[in-house]
Amino acid sequence: MKNFKLSAPTLLLLPAIVVLAAVIVLPLLFSFYSSFTPFRLTKPDTLWLFVGFRNYITALTSVDFWIAFGRTVLLLTIALNAEMLLGLGLAMLVNKATMGQRVLRTLMLFPMMFSPVLVGFQFKFMFNDNVGFVNNALQSLGITDRAIPWLIDGNLALFSIIVAEIWSSTSVFAILILAGLLAMPKDPVEAAHVDGCTPWQTFRYVTWPYLMPFAYIAMTIRSLDVARAYDIVKIMTDGGPAKRTELLWTLIGRTAYSDARMGLANAMAYIAILLSILFTVYFFRKLAAARQQIGAEW
Amino acid sequence: MAPVTLRKLVKRYGALEVVHGIDLEVKDREFIALVGPSGCGKSTTLRMIAGLEDISGGEIEIGDRVVNDLPPRARNISMVFQSYALYPHMTVAENMGFSLKIAGQSADEIRKRVVEAAAILDLGPLLERRPSQLSGGQRQRVAMGRAIVRNPDVFLFDEPLSNLDAKLRTQVRTEIKRLHAKVKSTMIYVTHDQVEAMTLSDRIVIMRDGYIEQIGTPEEVFQRPASKFVAGFIGSPPMNLEDAVVDNGRLMFAGGQSLPVPPRFLEKVTTGQKVTFGIRPDDVYPTGHGLHSGDASAVHAMALPVVITEPLGNETLVFITFTGRDWVSRMLNPRPLKTGETVEMSFDLSQAHLFDAATGVSLR
Repeated sequence: MKNFKLSAPTLLLLPAIVVLAAVIVLPLLFSFYSSFTPFRLTKPDTLWLFVGFRNYITALTSVDFWIAFGRTVLLLTIALNAEMLLGLGLAMLVNKATMGQRVLRTLMLFPMMFSPVLVGFQFKFMFNDNVGFVNNALQSLGITDRAIPWLIDGNLALFSIIVAEIWSSTSVFAILILAGLLAMPKDPVEAAHVDGCTPWQTFRYVTWPYLMPFAYIAMTIRSLDVARAYDIVKIMTDGGPAKRTELLWTLIGRTAYSDARMGLANAMAYIAILLSILFTVYFFRKLAAARQQIGAEW
Repeated sequence: MAPVTLRKLVKRYGALEVVHGIDLEVKDREFIALVGPSGCGKSTTLRMIAGLEDISGGEIEIGDRVVNDLPPRARNISMVFQSYALYPHMTVAENMGFSLKIAGQSADEIRKRVVEAAAILDLGPLLERRPSQLSGGQRQRVAMGRAIVRNPDVFLFDEPLSNLDAKLRTQVRTEIKRLHAKVKSTMIYVTHDQVEAMTLSDRIVIMRDGYIEQIGTPEEVFQRPASKFVAGFIGSPPMNLEDAVVDNGRLMFAGGQSLPVPPRFLEKVTTGQKVTFGIRPDDVYPTGHGLHSGDASAVHAMALPVVITEPLGNETLVFITFTGRDWVSRMLNPRPLKTGETVEMSFDLSQAHLFDAATGVSLR
């Protein structure tokens, strides 16, 4: 050990490495290990029983898991597309504002300032079939005289959750696309006007290609967000009715804490993370292609 | 191919008026340069012609249509922007053919016209590249190609050479001139560079603070500037200008030195009148090192000290002290001069100008 000496950079980085190892790497390794055991929180001894891929096989052959998986992808697809369209519209409108644009930009971010748990509670209240604002409004306007069971009907419940998601997160798209609009050079748009483009053609052929990288950044962020959606669903429906709004992470949470099957839950979690990685890779590829296309220098 | 007429054209931003009712008639196939310092309203005027800015007052006519309320796409114009404004996600060919594609032309027709335009501008080998793979000069040529392909009534250029380096600027300038000879369209060219304006255009419009100071051929604005401003703006190095008071046929300068009143102004000024005297560096030269315009009797010689010299090879700019400040003169067939050396300078007064000291208007 006499000749063993750490170089200064290594030495200086060591505290950070130790902290990171303690709070991230070790738990990660531990959870990964436990996904190969029948670990139950109620029976600590089970942690030392190695069962190989049994948890993974159980998860992958479970109908509930695949339904939750599919529903998460469905939610992701609908929410992302809707948020993208709404965010684009919002950004274009704010970009047109000649006065008070700063105020509007701040207002636009309001939904993001609320905790998703509170958003969940608020929408749970608004969609309540008896005292909720939505039914009350519909009935007062004479559109229906029935109490629509927003959170009780299986299909409507997922719809209600999507509405809450969109409300709380459209601003992610709006703010990023607005950033794109503000960063965009004005000349090509003017050139398009002179070249004979209608406003729609200008958007389609000139503005949109510029905004695509920004949209993909928002997509990446939001796909990770939605793929781990938990809080709003937990509050609004808790996966119900009859598991009709069960998503990956509500299922994983339930498996881990209600059923206390931590090993199985960890296995499911690792599969779920795979989904997130897949989406990230996909959108990053798209982003790189879009950036290349507009010859972006960033 | 169409004339362009501006009538009492006004541009206001809120309460601020930046173009004050200007009139201009651009003839069919004419090359007109709008020139002036930054903020003189030249670009705004061009953008109003293009339809990129609303018109606050007056009328713009292209061909025989008043275009005030037409969007840019309905005006059949092409514009070349200072920043090129190419579509970065399209290849050169796509950039050039974009307007035709929008107009619904067939792919064959687009290809044909793009290739034609590319041949004029020597862009053939670059057609499949993207703008980010091109140099500044090439991008500017693509921007011009995009303009030509449409075969528009009017070409508009908004400072197209400002982003190019000096060498390239001269080269592209020649290309623009050649282009005008080939396509024979009406061209309106905005620049702050008087050399570009002089070399390219049939007529120059000199603007200042939203007004037109003078409209004329390059020769006219150079030789007969309508105002002190035009005199100082056109020509490089600029005209020497100095205030003086007329006293019995002589111009008395502040420092006590004087010159005779230039012959052609003798009848036009009276004793006591305040004027600004102007003479170009070409018309002040060390005796024997310049050319007078024919009337030897109008040449006035005076010994003056040299401040500094700027040798340019074929000629030297000599700065001399006169009336208490530096005057620029141009010395042909130069010989070395030392700072402080006193040299006999010839003033060719037949080429000098007098302006009203207060209004700046030429007394011609």
